Amino acid sequence: MKKHLAILVLLIATGILAAGQTTDPLVSNCLSTTGPNAKYLKDFRIQLGKAAGTNEFRYKAQMSLWKNTKYRFTMCNAENSEGKLILTIKDDANKQVLSSYDPKTGKTYPYVDFICNRSGIYQISFDFTDGQPGSGVGVVSMVK
Amino acid sequence: MMKGGIFILVLAALIAGFSCRNSGNTAKEFVFPEADTVPAGEAEKLSAEAIAEISRNISSPVEIANLLQLLEVPYSPEYLASSIDANKQETAFSKALTLGILGADLGYLNMYEKTGSSIDILSSIRKLAEGLRVGQFFDFETIKRLSLNKSNLDSLLFLSIDSYTKIDQYLRNDNRGQLSALMIIGVWTEAQYLATQVVRRYSDTRLKDRIGEQKIILNDLIMLASPYCSKDSQFTELCKDLQKVKEEYRDVKITYTLGEPVSIEKDGGLVIEQTETSVVEMTDEQLSGIINVTKIIRDRLISNN
Repeated sequence: MKKHLAILVLLIATGILAAGQTTDPLVSNCLSTTGPNAKYLKDFRIQLGKAAGTNEFRYKAQMSLWKNTKYRFTMCNAENSEGKLILTIKDDANKQVLSSYDPKTGKTYPYVDFICNRSGIYQISFDFTDGQPGSGVGVVSMVK
Repeated sequence: MMKGGIFILVLAALIAGFSCRNSGNTAKEFVFPEADTVPAGEAEKLSAEAIAEISRNISSPVEIANLLQLLEVPYSPEYLASSIDANKQETAFSKALTLGILGADLGYLNMYEKTGSSIDILSSIRKLAEGLRVGQFFDFETIKRLSLNKSNLDSLLFLSIDSYTKIDQYLRNDNRGQLSALMIIGVWTEAQYLATQVVRRYSDTRLKDRIGEQKIILNDLIMLASPYCSKDSQFTELCKDLQKVKEEYRDVKITYTLGEPVSIEKDGGLVIEQTETSVVEMTDEQLSGIINVTKIIRDRLISNN
């Protein structure tokens, strides 16, 4: 009897957990900043500790980007994030096509619009400024 | 020792194949890699990350629909797989494939804000997802509410796409990668069907280019299915279909012109325009072959309804 009760409690708890899944508030908040005409495509959720002194961006992913499309990459940071989330994109020949961080001025841009004219698979890299620890989200949208 | 050496060699070849799959771009022309299949058994050992990357690279149906809107192509329900009956999908194979096909249709409906019409599709998606024991990742009620309200398209797109992403991740983590592969192939096939049917009526260069450029990711799609090609007769047939599509793409040429990106600051953000371009060379005959093979495959995939 006790065993059956335990199974029942477990099943109910599992059901509640499954039903109670909500969207990450950081993602929801970030979505609200992408602009009225932006149409969501993908997001990258990034959580990194302090970097061990390398200049290489630590979070890497691939994504196909298509000609005749204007993409918006919006970077959002969690409140407790020490660094600001920054993005670079390289093409498949490893040539950098954009960065949301200007190393000359130290300026970080909260969003970058990319007018893509070369379809292909690109490397999307994220990190936090100065390799600081942080968490954030990069939302990719399409804009007109 | 000998066996270990062979294993390392095969693994190295696989890794090299992955890392160099688009190396043709640097030679100013995209070409299919020489070896485009992965030996069964070995491919299943490919890292979860590599497979996740492949699934992320498959063109989103939302992007195709976005292009159609850009070209001012009107919405048409004719392109939808309306004949699909979720109750008739008995095997996990057909459930997963159909889930993908309907996901693409949902993306098309959402983009055109025909969300009132999407309720039937949503119900079918829920049924199929529950049949595959992934229903918990599809937030049906919220998506339905947003669809009926027509209030926030971006949230609707997010929830729909995010649900599919979660289902895909869960299936792969749950050692049901074959279902994840089927779902992705279903999404791609339906989006490709949409694009190829539209181009018959609206012969626009940008749409033709997008169809031709699918060559870039076609090999990834084949790679995704290849571990399962000898799993059963349904998979074997599907793999043959993908090879037929690939054959139609073989002589389509994609070349690149070089250029440096131009950037300006605007409203606190950065706008970057790429001056480098990709150029598709595809004859009408090649396009016609792609349209035909896509229709045959897609119609067969939805024929058990």
